Amino acid sequence: MRLFFVTITLGALLVWVAGCSEPTIDEGVLPFIVPTSTDADGGSWKTVVLKAATEISVPQPLATTSAAYQQELSDVKNGVLAATPEQNTAVNYWAYGAVLRWNQIARQLVAKYNVAPGYDYATGQTTPAESANPYAGAPYAARVYALLSVAQYDALVVAWRAKFQYNRPSLEQQGVISRAPVLDVPSYPSEDAAVAEVSCQVLAYLFPNEVAFLKAKATEHKQSRIWAGASVPSDVKAGEALAATLAAKVIDRAKVDRFGAANDPSNTWQTALAKATYDQKWTSLELPARAPILPLAGKVKTWYDSTSIAKLVPATPPATTSADFQKALSEVHDIAASRTRDQSRIASYWDNGPNTYSLSGLWNLLTEEFIRENGQNELRSARTYALLNRAMHDATTTSWRTQYTYFVPRPSQIDPTIKTATVIPNTPSYVSDRAAVSSTAATLLSYLFPSDATKLAAQATEASVSGLYAGIHYRFDTDEGTKLGTSIGQLAVAAAKADGAK
Amino acid sequence: MRFLPLALFTLTTLFVTHQARAQWMIGGFMQGHRKASLAIIGSQESYSTYFINKNETQNPNLGTVTTQALTAVGTYGLGYDLDLIVAAPYIRTEASAGYFPKQEGFQDASATLRWEAYDYKLGKKLRLSWLFAVGYSMPIQNYVNDAMVAIGRGSKNWDGRTMLHLKGKSFFITGQYGYIRRGQVILDHVVNYYDPSQLNPNSGSKVNVPDVTEIIVRGGYVNTWLNLDVWGQQQTPYTKGTDIGPGIPFPTNAVGFTRLGATAYLRLAKQFGLTAGYNTIIDGRNVGKSSQINGGIVIGHWTANN
Repeated sequence: MRLFFVTITLGALLVWVAGCSEPTIDEGVLPFIVPTSTDADGGSWKTVVLKAATEISVPQPLATTSAAYQQELSDVKNGVLAATPEQNTAVNYWAYGAVLRWNQIARQLVAKYNVAPGYDYATGQTTPAESANPYAGAPYAARVYALLSVAQYDALVVAWRAKFQYNRPSLEQQGVISRAPVLDVPSYPSEDAAVAEVSCQVLAYLFPNEVAFLKAKATEHKQSRIWAGASVPSDVKAGEALAATLAAKVIDRAKVDRFGAANDPSNTWQTALAKATYDQKWTSLELPARAPILPLAGKVKTWYDSTSIAKLVPATPPATTSADFQKALSEVHDIAASRTRDQSRIASYWDNGPNTYSLSGLWNLLTEEFIRENGQNELRSARTYALLNRAMHDATTTSWRTQYTYFVPRPSQIDPTIKTATVIPNTPSYVSDRAAVSSTAATLLSYLFPSDATKLAAQATEASVSGLYAGIHYRFDTDEGTKLGTSIGQLAVAAAKADGAK
Repeated sequence: MRFLPLALFTLTTLFVTHQARAQWMIGGFMQGHRKASLAIIGSQESYSTYFINKNETQNPNLGTVTTQALTAVGTYGLGYDLDLIVAAPYIRTEASAGYFPKQEGFQDASATLRWEAYDYKLGKKLRLSWLFAVGYSMPIQNYVNDAMVAIGRGSKNWDGRTMLHLKGKSFFITGQYGYIRRGQVILDHVVNYYDPSQLNPNSGSKVNVPDVTEIIVRGGYVNTWLNLDVWGQQQTPYTKGTDIGPGIPFPTNAVGFTRLGATAYLRLAKQFGLTAGYNTIIDGRNVGKSSQINGGIVIGHWTANN
């Protein structure tokens, strides 16, 4: 009897053990958000790349009484009833949020291409980065998010203006029962089509290897809104057209923002290193030593006022011979020698090094939560991201400018016994870009989401000190980074106050 | 001599730590009703070459990784055909170059029930037994699990295996097949490496540790005072896993290896013996190409061949 029982138990266990499928990453399924406001005045909000929404005109739509429109409408109605399971999957995927989904796609692509050139130990050669992507690092990632968010925001302001100018009623008001929640704003032009097209084109410019992937996504996105019963084809077409015009303007700005030279092909950073006045000079701690990450990314054109930002570059840090520096160094040493588990966790959480979506990507992920909690519509989500990503890009640029002005060595260069919880970034130490970016993000987001201000302040503090816990930054890197970031965050808050959105 | 191989098995491979978690083998010899033993084993293992997927590589920013472990293994016969085996290792691991910090701490505690389901006499001198074992292991403390230099991977695991064990007067041979189901682990950070098969790949910290299957063949000489045996072990990833790379969490890597080893046991007194062993990885996947030496004491009730 006992034998029988045990055999059955073991058999059952083996079946259970072998039978379950396990995803590599566990992700939850989140409910849709229902936007809390339509922002009917959105068409008058201040745009970023465009001078105003009026710069792109959207043609007048056909009247809803026209035969052509009525045909479109009945096709959509019938389509909704006949939707296939595949179509429903697409509908549900994109109904999560156009801006949010394209932001996720951008993060995915940054993680894929945020690759430093490799070193082949067999041949002793550094392997080149992919020709389509020679620029890896935090400035590269921050710029991708900034360009994408600005393009989405401007496209939606233009779309919103046309929506309330022409007032073509939403399909819901015409008796279509949609398959996903749809914001009750005029349907022409489709905000989803505008976001899909502009995101696809801007990302295709930034990731030329991914054109096929992006086009497939954009096509599915646009179609999904027709399948969902949110738009008729002429709504989609108009959204697409305005986005294409805008995308060209955003790409024009990207071409002249000086990022193309940021990887410093002629190695001018070595001259800057020789001229730097700090008493000990940074060297790469990698074996073999490598050129630093994007040495000229500090010269990239800023989004907010460049004169104000230039004044924010911090002063020279204490010289290595000073008592202040020795105190800062021994603090790093002591933390590294007795790092707690929680300090390791914090260091790892905020690290976001190579092959990740970078720290600015993490802040985009965290912001997704706030956008959802607050039920922001597409336009407002895009505004949040456009304000945030411009500010984080400027904070990254200014951090880079500071790092490649002073060339302050990493703690482990001065004291090789300092072991680090995360890989040492191949950039100078001062200032801490993670402190700058996180303080910028928290300052702006606290303004946009005041009820989360306490949580955000705690996150920014933790992010800033994480470099010290990791053993890759001094306390003064963190403090000055926080100061710098807070100031840039305040510039973004000022812009948010003045852009016309309430 | 039922105790020894068990103890020795347990000891020898308790310490595959850098990529795999502490593996330990269960042998085919039963402990005996109400008989107990305790083994304390020290080991040292090192590698300077490791496998990225199946390709050998070295890393000047890592140098040689050396892992030392001290492991306690207790075995108790709950019945003539049912044993309980518990083990707990303390591990320290360190790289000779670069800036990876040393990691140190208790790794995974494990408990295993082994059941001798059938026992056949083959002629006068041979016995063939068929055994089953079920084990569970979990981290004793929340150690760092996602680092090149780490003491373990942090998952909670179920282990099911079956064994055929043939013993003669002075030799034995055991073949076993096992399946180790490794649970999910929560990383310190959000995972965001690129994987198009995931709908939304950059939102979670919980990742799966790939399951593995395992085949072990072991055989050797036994008498009242001396045991000598050799063994081969092959672990193969069963579920989908990743390969070592920047941005890729270490726990999701598909880890496998082929390992050869030898173990000796010398009994010095009725309740006391010494053990020593050597083993080396000859082939692997996302694992250090390591070699290990170990030695320890075995205290307890060791009646030979009863």
